[in-house]
Amino acid sequence: MSNTDSFNLKQDRRQWLKTTASAVSASVLPLPSMAAETTRESPAPATGQTAKTAAESNPASHFFTPAQHTMVEELSETIIPADKHSGGAKAAKVADYIEQCLRETTNDEDRALWHEGLRLVDLMSKHYTGKSFVDATPEERLSILTVLSDNEHVTELPEVRFFRELKRLTTRGYYTSKIGIHDELEYKGNRILMEYVGCDDPTPPTTS
Amino acid sequence: MVEPEVNLSITYDAVIIGSGAAGGMAAHVLTSHGFKVLLLEAGKKLPIEHELRSMEWPYDNRYRGELPPDRHSLSFNEYTIRRPPYGPGFEKSKHLHSYIGDSDYTKNICVDERENPYTGTNYAWVRARCLGGKTNIWGRLALRLSDYDFKAKDRDGYGENWPISYSDLAPYYDKVDLHLGIMGVKENLPHLPDGIFQRPQKLNCAEVTLKQGLQKMGRTLTQYRAGVTSEGLAHNKYRSRCYGRGACERKGGCDIHAAFDSPTGLIYPAMDTGNLTLRTNSVAREITVDPNTAKASGVRFTDAVTKKDYAAKAKVVIVAASTLESARLLLLSKSRQHPNGIGNSSGHVGHNFCEHIMGPGVYGRVKERVGKPPTLDDGRPGGFYLTRFRNLAEKHPKFIRGYGFEGGSGCSMFPPGTQAPGIGASFKEEIRKNQGAYIGMGAFGEVLSRYENYVDLDPNIKDKWGIPVLRFHYKFGDNEHGMAKDMADTAQEMFEAAGFEIVHINKRVLTEGWSIHELGTARMGSDPKTSVLNQFEQSHDLKNLFVVDGSAFVSASCQNPTWTIMTLCWRSCDYLADEFKKGNL
Repeated sequence: MSNTDSFNLKQDRRQWLKTTASAVSASVLPLPSMAAETTRESPAPATGQTAKTAAESNPASHFFTPAQHTMVEELSETIIPADKHSGGAKAAKVADYIEQCLRETTNDEDRALWHEGLRLVDLMSKHYTGKSFVDATPEERLSILTVLSDNEHVTELPEVRFFRELKRLTTRGYYTSKIGIHDELEYKGNRILMEYVGCDDPTPPTTS
Repeated sequence: MVEPEVNLSITYDAVIIGSGAAGGMAAHVLTSHGFKVLLLEAGKKLPIEHELRSMEWPYDNRYRGELPPDRHSLSFNEYTIRRPPYGPGFEKSKHLHSYIGDSDYTKNICVDERENPYTGTNYAWVRARCLGGKTNIWGRLALRLSDYDFKAKDRDGYGENWPISYSDLAPYYDKVDLHLGIMGVKENLPHLPDGIFQRPQKLNCAEVTLKQGLQKMGRTLTQYRAGVTSEGLAHNKYRSRCYGRGACERKGGCDIHAAFDSPTGLIYPAMDTGNLTLRTNSVAREITVDPNTAKASGVRFTDAVTKKDYAAKAKVVIVAASTLESARLLLLSKSRQHPNGIGNSSGHVGHNFCEHIMGPGVYGRVKERVGKPPTLDDGRPGGFYLTRFRNLAEKHPKFIRGYGFEGGSGCSMFPPGTQAPGIGASFKEEIRKNQGAYIGMGAFGEVLSRYENYVDLDPNIKDKWGIPVLRFHYKFGDNEHGMAKDMADTAQEMFEAAGFEIVHINKRVLTEGWSIHELGTARMGSDPKTSVLNQFEQSHDLKNLFVVDGSAFVSASCQNPTWTIMTLCWRSCDYLADEFKKGNL
């Protein structure tokens, strides 16, 4: 899946942009754990005009709808998942951090990019997996975001710009959280240290 | 602390404009000589410990330590694409800051660009208007200059020599070391003289590996010489010794003042003499001249808050507003006797403007460190300093003068590597395994002092207080670009010699001004036709006018200027006090 040499994001997106909630096309991607093509009716998109209007009508409360918030949780968890070592982005409440950033920003372009990005990634998910992003398996989610990650230089595409912002805010939010700093990195600093341990230099010091 | 009331009806012995490294030092030296001093600072006195919060965890900060969303700080791209003034185009942000004002800890220290515009060529001008100025957030690298700098013209024929030698400054460097505290290791280098060091920090293992690789090349890597007290200062009750509390690389200062800053290091002790009066929120507009004697008589200033105008009278005027603001104030001070601006009969005020070029550097990975348990590496003021090696014994064919590198390695609170490609479990694991394995360094090189690089007053644009702003005419030249190419080449060569995996070679030159080491706009010299000040930073034109900050520098050196600014200032103020007592001012 990480090898997308034969895959052209710009060409393929023409297909998935046409994808609707019910119409599922065959994937060109070698998706892992794609059991069978499903024709199950997917739930309504997590994003869309309704959600956008709700957020804009009441920007002081929430930027994301509950469904969008769930999707952002899964997106961030896909970038930094829980593993044997520590909790992931979901446990670190990265979605709440992103929500706060977007609720308070004065940059309308950022806000629009997030709404558009969530919509496009859900369309991609439906095209390739037949399911919304939230309903896709963790492996499928990873496959979808890997397409964007492998194409992160194609910045003229809004879904790529969205992915870059998603990754930036996810890493920022995660590695500034308690879980990120203490559990994951086991950061040793920011405390009184009587003597910096460092490394003993075997070369004799210069004497004057 | 005794704080005398400001009394503008009396004539002070001296008025000092600016409370940063230079102004603080002038206040310290003159009050210790018994002078009655008025210190004017354009900004306010901030509750600085509350601003800095050096040990705050990111998750305890609403914005994780970043700038609140209603503010914006300028990025490299914005400095590159846009021309000053940098206000227009950022209307959505309530406040606009320079690139340093990009954290929740520096936002109130750095000025609002819209209130303080400037025009002309691109320049990343960082200004801190508050008590102590930029010393509240400086990088703390405290280096001495040498005769390789003071007598550079003798070696390569370029520019002017300084009117002093290292031997003139050495005793004053010693005084500054002892008074303010400095950590370091003696290296016996003729081009980077040793100081009187307190206990040094150690290097970490990757840095020792680099040091050993460089020794084979005859180059020296030494512990970061930090203007930080590791052992404490018995004579200063406002500053603690360093406790290596970590996150020292965070933009922002040290809230226990182990790192030098002008208020706790110099100004509060000066107030304790009872000789210092401080007035903040005092924006200087003009140095006034006595029409009868043609000497400086004081300062006209505006209250930053009420916008009311005031005048302070003094027998001696000391300008310490920072290299660029000092030049601006001299140029603003036009009178019948001084039609080109005070102290500017030479026409050199604002000219010979120089600094350090930066940007090129290298980022590498130390394979032996990958996957090792995390170590505590940021509990120290800095990593290492790799000293100048160009144009010492040999001559480089492409450029004159030299450069040094600042660098460091090891674990930090926010891990390196988050911009690496990829996502998912492997991405997370890579960041964890590599968090202590990266090492990086970036160069600081001497920008030649050139008459053609200058600032003057913009005829149209004014700041928030109605004062004409600076207009920049400043660009790096061929020597700087030749040097920058060499910086990237040697950075790569040295990391390869140390056996590091090269992750990224940075060849990009950052915007003019990025080093925040602007210098030279009122240079010293023995010829009043080609210089503004004599060797004691005293105006050639007015005996009772001194300019004691970085503007007095004759050349930029490649070594960081703050320690030399304070050293020169101490020497000049000793001379000033002597001349004052003799009645020569």
